Amino acid sequence: MASRRVRPGRIARRGLRHLLAWIAVAFALFPALFVLGTSFNPMNNIATTRIVPRNPTLANYLAVFEKGLGVWLLNTVKVAGIAASVSVAFCALGAYAFSRFRFRGRRAGLLALMLVQTFPQTLALVAIFLILHHIGFYAPWIGLNTHWGLIIVYLGGSIGFNTWLMKGFFDSIPRSLEESALVDGATPFQAFRWVVLPLARPILAVIFVIQFITLYSEYLIANVILKGKEMYTLSVGLYNLIAEHYSDRWGEFAAGAVIGAAMILILFYALQSQIISGLIRGAVKE
Amino acid sequence: MDGLGKTILKILFLSALGAFAIYWAALAALAGDWKVVPFVVLGAAGVSWLLLSERAYPLRYLAPGLLFMTVMVLVPVVYNIYISFTNYSTGHILRKDQAIQVLTSKEIPTSPPVRFRFTAYGTADYLRVIVISTPEGPLFVSPEGKVMDPGSFAAPDANGDGVPDSVDGYPPLGTREFLANHYPAVQRIRIPWEEGWLRLATLRDFGYFIPRYRYDPERDAIIDTRTGKVYYAGLDRFVAEDGEPLDPGWPRWVGLANYIRFIRDPRYHQAFGRVFLWNVVWAVLSVAFSFVLGLALAILLNDRNLRLRKLYRSLLIVPYAIPAFISILIWRGFFNTHVGLFNEVLKSWLGPRAGVPWLDDPFWARFSLIFTNVWLTYPYMMLVSLGALQAIPGELYEAAAIDGAGPWKRFTTITFPLLMVSVAPLLIGSFSFNFNNFTIIWLMTQGGPVVEIGSQAGATDILLSYAYKLAFYGARGNEYSMAAVFGVIIFVIVAVISGISFTRTRALEEVSRGL
Repeated sequence: MASRRVRPGRIARRGLRHLLAWIAVAFALFPALFVLGTSFNPMNNIATTRIVPRNPTLANYLAVFEKGLGVWLLNTVKVAGIAASVSVAFCALGAYAFSRFRFRGRRAGLLALMLVQTFPQTLALVAIFLILHHIGFYAPWIGLNTHWGLIIVYLGGSIGFNTWLMKGFFDSIPRSLEESALVDGATPFQAFRWVVLPLARPILAVIFVIQFITLYSEYLIANVILKGKEMYTLSVGLYNLIAEHYSDRWGEFAAGAVIGAAMILILFYALQSQIISGLIRGAVKE
Repeated sequence: MDGLGKTILKILFLSALGAFAIYWAALAALAGDWKVVPFVVLGAAGVSWLLLSERAYPLRYLAPGLLFMTVMVLVPVVYNIYISFTNYSTGHILRKDQAIQVLTSKEIPTSPPVRFRFTAYGTADYLRVIVISTPEGPLFVSPEGKVMDPGSFAAPDANGDGVPDSVDGYPPLGTREFLANHYPAVQRIRIPWEEGWLRLATLRDFGYFIPRYRYDPERDAIIDTRTGKVYYAGLDRFVAEDGEPLDPGWPRWVGLANYIRFIRDPRYHQAFGRVFLWNVVWAVLSVAFSFVLGLALAILLNDRNLRLRKLYRSLLIVPYAIPAFISILIWRGFFNTHVGLFNEVLKSWLGPRAGVPWLDDPFWARFSLIFTNVWLTYPYMMLVSLGALQAIPGELYEAAAIDGAGPWKRFTTITFPLLMVSVAPLLIGSFSFNFNNFTIIWLMTQGGPVVEIGSQAGATDILLSYAYKLAFYGARGNEYSMAAVFGVIIFVIVAVISGISFTRTRALEEVSRGL
């Protein structure tokens, strides 16, 4: 390498590339770094904040937890966690059937799945709201302003896309392993449970994480269904915390934002390559 | 043996299910709730068929997901279409029987008011009983509101005033103790009394209240108990003969009325036109700018000899990894006209009067939104483009270089066309997503700023956020049915976009085969 002759023009072009890359990196990172600095800043408005605060303090973190951040985080993890795990379980079952069984209505079913997942659930938001309103008279625990109601809505909305995505993965798992299990007398369900599922575990984990992140960030449906500070998820809570209070709660919001983003950032970078390939397979963010 | 055990288990489970279904259906039928019966019967029959029929075997795998998808995606879509043909709105949201219930539980005090002193017995954490002193003697009421048999309590009454000195050893509670610990529970108590009921009226008294309205099933009418005025059941509410309506009412089928109102009433269709135009501009510009930036960065990083390219890539996708709602709220803070970072910086450079009304002026609000959205979505475009660039075979470039094509020529004739083959469907997907990207619009501007006094549609409202305002933040109450009309319209638009996307993908596949 060192012996290779390098022309000055090439060095200049290299330098330019690095310069441009660093400008882009600065553009990408500055909001996050700025907010990280703000969260430790003793002053609570935007005007006085700087990336490295003068007298760092944890006061903002304490204040935002007092305003309910802990409850919102727990609510969000509960709702997103339950909805995502049940969704993965149901979708794995459904995707396996679409991938391995041949039955009447299979093609129509696949087509229907693909059509359904192109329409965002939020288009029928009014209907969802009224359905929960009516369900509430019969089963108050899944009516409006309940976490279980929200979980069911999320669950229904995620089935189409996840089944579609997982079917593709199952198609890529060779059938020979299951077939030998079937020859040995296993039922199709046993073959699914003990042969295919263990092989698909990493993929299921990734789909779970993608779904979790998506639901973690969901605002619209949660805002319609949940009323009252104790019920809020993180997105609704943080929005209501800051929306009309940029002049006096910026520091607290920054602390909440850091905590709210930290978990997702860790998840995202831990599974970076798998998540990206999963997302690019067809999803746009959210 | 294993198979036999399973069969027995199945039979046991199905028997239990059947028994439960019959029990539930019978209960519902006895309660007069006939609508529930077919659901219970069909549900039980469906589960049995699923578990018994060999032909239903694949469906056993599909059923759980299908159930939730049906209930929370397909049913809402159909229901939404139905709502657009009704007058669902504030005052027309309950069922008729619920509306009757609401009306008949409205109450008025008798005149002159009738009040009975009461005494609560218990401790701070435990309420034993409430004793109401009525002319007919003391009334013992449990904390749940049930009238109890006085004989079942040990209630000594030394002075014979009808107020026991203690009950089962529990002393009478003072007003303050009662208020602090038991007030909310007791407040809910209604005790049937003569023609109405007794309920807590003051901190010391229960009052006698009579219903404001009475329902007459024979005439299907509501009667005002004070004035005797009769409100007959109309199509969607009770109306008196002089035309005075009673709220709440119930929804009814109105046919195409909402659609006709949408076309006739300039309030709606003018707003729609303005909102739709911005909606398209917003989606197109968001996709175009973020794609250009993403592609440029992808080309920048698509050099195997570039050092640190892995690091750059990881850092450049940070906006993708932060939950969008958090980033949006941060950017909203930066753009804030009065206390935001950008105006503070401008002021420190250009003097105290400098500053841009970022989110308070229609043009700048749109600018800020697109800017923020580009920041949010360029990582996706970059990742997609990087993948597509790496899939382009290097020989093509070598051949072009031999032909003497320069870098720009190589980009326009090789890179870009090949890139578009794989990226175009994703761009359409991104357009479709941004067309309905409610979150960023709502969290940044809530559709504002106002462009026209009296119109709810702001400068940055997209169709979805405008529909949302009509439904849940309505200036004229909640116009669910009009919001549903907008839902149907957006639905058609999305269907058209998806249709184009599908055919276009196929077209592009053919193009790539031709190469």
